Amino acid sequence: MKAFGFDYRRGTSIIHILDPRCKFIYTILFTALTVYFVNPLVLLLVFLSSVPMVAVAGVGKSWLRSIRGSLFFIAFIFIFNLIGIFWTTGSVADALIMSISMSLRFMALISIFSVFFLTTSPEDLTQSMVQLKIPYDYALTFNMAMRFVPTLSREAQIIMDAQRSRGLELEKGNIFQRVRNYIPVLIPLIISSFRRAELVADAMESRAFGAAKRRTSLYVLTMGRRDFLFILFSVAAFLAFLSLKVLFGIQ
Amino acid sequence: MISFEDVSYSYSPGRYAIEHINLSIDKGEVVAILGENGAGKTTLIKHINGLLKPQSGSVIVSGMNTKETTVATLARHVGLVFQNPDHQLFAETVEKEIMFALTNFNFPEDEISRRVNWALKEFGLLEYKDRPPFLLSGGERKRLALASVLCYDPQIVILDEPTTGQDYRQKLHLASLIKKLNSESKTVVVVTHDIEFAADFIPRSIIMSKGRIIADGDSEELLTNRELLMSASLIPPQLVELSWDLALNPPTIHFDELVSSVKKLLEGREA
Repeated sequence: MKAFGFDYRRGTSIIHILDPRCKFIYTILFTALTVYFVNPLVLLLVFLSSVPMVAVAGVGKSWLRSIRGSLFFIAFIFIFNLIGIFWTTGSVADALIMSISMSLRFMALISIFSVFFLTTSPEDLTQSMVQLKIPYDYALTFNMAMRFVPTLSREAQIIMDAQRSRGLELEKGNIFQRVRNYIPVLIPLIISSFRRAELVADAMESRAFGAAKRRTSLYVLTMGRRDFLFILFSVAAFLAFLSLKVLFGIQ
Repeated sequence: MISFEDVSYSYSPGRYAIEHINLSIDKGEVVAILGENGAGKTTLIKHINGLLKPQSGSVIVSGMNTKETTVATLARHVGLVFQNPDHQLFAETVEKEIMFALTNFNFPEDEISRRVNWALKEFGLLEYKDRPPFLLSGGERKRLALASVLCYDPQIVILDEPTTGQDYRQKLHLASLIKKLNSESKTVVVVTHDIEFAADFIPRSIIMSKGRIIADGDSEELLTNRELLMSASLIPPQLVELSWDLALNPPTIHFDELVSSVKKLLEGREA
């Protein structure tokens, strides 16, 4: 699913070589900001603050694809908030501002997570999880889940093609009918995922997965000066945003 | 019946999956499309039922321009059986699986049950009719996938890699099915790696390489052309290899011809 910013490519930019743990701290802090604030201007600022990182990392194309891929959801969030809030408050202005905020919040989240996943190799991510004392089994499960997202989306496309070749019209009928139209796509997708999971498990076991009680690592991630600097900047930016609330009462 | 006019298609800018394809297949022809992995075979056939629309050029199928026709309309005329049956089987029972396309195309009830019964018998699935498709063996699932498309009697039948994972007996069964479809003047297009299968059963071959058609013609002529097969990364059929080793002129893809040539060779030696 390229559209959701999972297509990590190796890179040499400063953002790419940062320790995943400090990028993770950035992601957590800024996610907290998007959840805390409701002012559309602040949310816009949070969103824009991720843009320089995208530029420095040189992942603009994939990042744009993530944003474009989520436009549908953004439109969905916008419209439903607009209708819902207008319904309850009866004020067009409130409804408009609130739904813009919600849309921006979602966009900011997509952008922040895209930066993280587009610049962090799955191996490094697993390794950093292990170094954060997360059991290797869980870290690996997470890694593999990410790994199989593009595979799954490719497979979904093939299944859709196969069913459309048998006369399935996905766009036909009212909204309930349309949801039902996807059953012939979902069932083969789920079943083949189970089949593949079993195959992967067999392949791993035949390569002695889990034989050693204690794993050692060939590479160990270490934090350097620039990593600490990056954390410092992230925390400073985080506090700067919070000061908007403390000093000006903006939330 | 099927015609491609200067068709190109690319999935990502700058790299064409198929390029400048010109092709025409008449009603009632049986054609093999051969080529290495990534040659563009699957991309090509997806243009025939409109799953892909040509980015340049045009594809005309039974008088319909695929650009202006929906997949559902084209699918009624073009039956496309995908390589992996697991990508399409979803129903609770084998019987319902076969019914799927028939209900999509709004066949009347009695017609549906007649065709389902025909397909169950034709593909040896009658005894499994109430079983879930997922519990069938690999070969049976492949047959069910075929049944679930051929049941609605499309005029053009496209089979993507129908021989993978099939033993020789199943291949013979498939060959006789193709022959039968052909006798009903259906058009059959078989995409395959299985050059032996093409050599044995399919009179016309189209050879693709790197998104282009590099040869199109009589299977015997093409499959005995060493340079052509080399440039398409295809392993020659065993009979052809043997013909070359024996320096038979002309080399052949037909077993009977090979036998008679060898006999002649032996008689020549005795004399």
